[in-house]
Amino acid sequence: MLSMKERHPHVFLNVFLSPNYLRLVTTFSEESAKTFGLSEVEALKLTLASEEIFIYLCRASRAEDAIAIEATNGGYYVQVKFLFKVQTFNPRAFNLTSTISPEDTASLDEMGLLLASRQVDRFSIAGNSQEGLELVLIKEKSYPALEGSKTPEIKESKNYTIKIPDPESLKLFCRMAIAHYPGNLCPPAFSFPGKVVDMILSEEYGASVAMGDQGQLGGGIFWHWVGKKTVESFGPYVFNHPAGSKLATRLVDSCIEKIAKTDAIGLIHRYSTPDMPSGYLEQLGSIDVMQPDGKINPWPIYYRQLNEDLGCQVWAHPDLEVFLQGEYRRLFLAREIHLARNEGEQRPSHSVFAPQFDKVHGQITLKAIWDGMDAAENLAQHVKVFRAENLQNIFFEIDLASAWQAALTSALLENRFQPRLILPYAGEADVVVFQYQKGG
Amino acid sequence: MLSVSLDKLVPEYVKRFEPYLPSKPDLELMKLYGCDRLFRLNNNENPLGPPPEAREIIRRFKPPKAAIYPSGDSYYLRQKLATRQGLDPDQYLVGNGANEVIAFVIKAFCQEGDNIITADKTFAVYEWVAEFSGFEVRLVPLKNFCFDDQGMLERIDERTKILFLCNPNNPTGTYWDETTLRRFLDSVSGRQIVVVDEAYFEFVEKEDYPNGIKLLGEYSNLVVFRTFSKMYGLAGLRIGYLVGSPEVVNVIRRTCVVYSVNEVAQEAALAALNDGDHMQRTRILVSAEKAFLLRELQRIGLETQAGEGCYVMIRIPISDTLAYRKLMAQGVMIRSMTGFRYPNWIRVSIGTHEAMEAFVKALRDILA
Repeated sequence: MLSMKERHPHVFLNVFLSPNYLRLVTTFSEESAKTFGLSEVEALKLTLASEEIFIYLCRASRAEDAIAIEATNGGYYVQVKFLFKVQTFNPRAFNLTSTISPEDTASLDEMGLLLASRQVDRFSIAGNSQEGLELVLIKEKSYPALEGSKTPEIKESKNYTIKIPDPESLKLFCRMAIAHYPGNLCPPAFSFPGKVVDMILSEEYGASVAMGDQGQLGGGIFWHWVGKKTVESFGPYVFNHPAGSKLATRLVDSCIEKIAKTDAIGLIHRYSTPDMPSGYLEQLGSIDVMQPDGKINPWPIYYRQLNEDLGCQVWAHPDLEVFLQGEYRRLFLAREIHLARNEGEQRPSHSVFAPQFDKVHGQITLKAIWDGMDAAENLAQHVKVFRAENLQNIFFEIDLASAWQAALTSALLENRFQPRLILPYAGEADVVVFQYQKGG
Repeated sequence: MLSVSLDKLVPEYVKRFEPYLPSKPDLELMKLYGCDRLFRLNNNENPLGPPPEAREIIRRFKPPKAAIYPSGDSYYLRQKLATRQGLDPDQYLVGNGANEVIAFVIKAFCQEGDNIITADKTFAVYEWVAEFSGFEVRLVPLKNFCFDDQGMLERIDERTKILFLCNPNNPTGTYWDETTLRRFLDSVSGRQIVVVDEAYFEFVEKEDYPNGIKLLGEYSNLVVFRTFSKMYGLAGLRIGYLVGSPEVVNVIRRTCVVYSVNEVAQEAALAALNDGDHMQRTRILVSAEKAFLLRELQRIGLETQAGEGCYVMIRIPISDTLAYRKLMAQGVMIRSMTGFRYPNWIRVSIGTHEAMEAFVKALRDILA
């Protein structure tokens, strides 16, 4: 797989963390965003976020400290990355639950971060104050939603060739998948065919389709990268089943063959269609999904490893050890478990969690961005907000490559989250999915 | 510590190359998977080990000789190979396993913008070396598990330098007969280098199977690879060689790393060539155990692809990588084939009867 820098055009700006450079930073951000395809409104939001971040960092550092800013055209989004070192950095305002009180002068400093986080679609924070921090803001481009035109007709063919679709075939594939499969078995992006075309161009996504001799679309499969080592696939979607064609199997084989020799270690499949051939996937476990009518359905999650498992080491909180041992035994995954817990050492004051909303499936997943002593309290606040919004399916994912994330287990258990399944190598190491259990 | 500007230093084609991570040593694997013995059926090694004369050489190797550089170009081994095969010693280049000679050939003939052609489902090292050296790799799909001669010819352009053929093919065991190979070489007509990798040459007893070395007199663009890792049981010592026409080998020699083959390997390989009945005993074992394995697999009702060579491909009704993990937990290590672009197939090396029985039992268990 190509690295982001190879795939996507990017520009850099290196300046000192002095307000004298503010105009330069905002111009850089705005012009990059527009050049890379964001609309005026979207570019303005990203610029505002960049401005707020820069002002905050100027206050938190000395004027001789430098910052590197990188803007990247991700195809369907624009990303602005800040690389810097500051004496103190408290990103708590990035929490969805943050509020700033006009009476609290200390928290007013963080108003900029709060504003920044609300202007973008995604963000991430990595590193630490001593060795350097990386703050990434992502703003997606807007695309027109699928128009309510008539259902595309299925045209039959005796022979199909599996190939990478051209943009028009790809858009037709999205329309046909939406028309012939339940909405919850299609990725949300299928409702924006133009976006899917740009996603594929970004090479973070991939697709194969079955094309008949006369250009008939027989089916397809869609996948995208989740982190560095995992690919998530959707489908296969089969519109025509000529006898003996084994279209679904050929589509799945095509997807696996395309990613088999990349950095990907695993293929996760959350939304399997009935066409998925048997024997290709293993069931990792299931989550409970509450439907709008209040019924709870178990939702299985499938997986396929793409290479021979070399085994790895993971961190675990003592309260999670038994669960992990049992799951690793059941899944035949070779792991060395090392226990991690907080033993009174210093921790940052405030944690940051990033929510990912999946409106199609009525789910919300929190990821740990930043450790903090207030993790349990912060989590409780998040749950309160989600429950007030009547969001029922709440998940939290921790990456067992990080001891501090493993140590969040106690905060999760305290807040009625239970470990449900392991996604092998879905982060830097395995990811454990916790689900919020209602009641009490 | 000063940081290193890897972003600027590393070529783009290296950045996008995924490193190959070999499996951990047996003891580590046994610890990880909780098994108390491990049958390695993943690397097509000779279950009988090295021939007795080579064993004796290894056993008697005098430790002080470890302080002395070996022959830089495997002098005596080349002499002996040349005498046995009726060629000139200068037509041979010996490498640290056949993998190293693949790199010699690619480095000798390819420059920026060039390409090589091989199959999509074959020994992966041709593809890897070309890719991480910055050359385009054109992969031609196998046809009925076999290299597609016409397909390969159609992909040739003016920047094609080398065509790699694995004969018999690893992992499918299919091979080109002499007529096909000659027809292919005639079509190429000296415009490109044709490498025929005969790593499993000694396992093939079919009459129409071509001996590439015998064709060297007629095709000066032909380069043949052989190895001591398979039939001769010296995989742990890493020694293999290439043989070609004097003018072609003279070019490849310029990119050949000398002194890369250690003294024990050279001496053991020399001794292995006087193998007595080792080759015959190996063939008998492989033939008997392959027949046993195929019988058992048929009983289980599994599709197989078994041609020449000391391995069998099996299509299984579960993910091959899951099968790998489950078999590892039972102390049997096979090759999962998703990485060969054969999802849900595994490749099993032919081993001793005990190993084959262990494999069959474990396979039955995991599929039950």
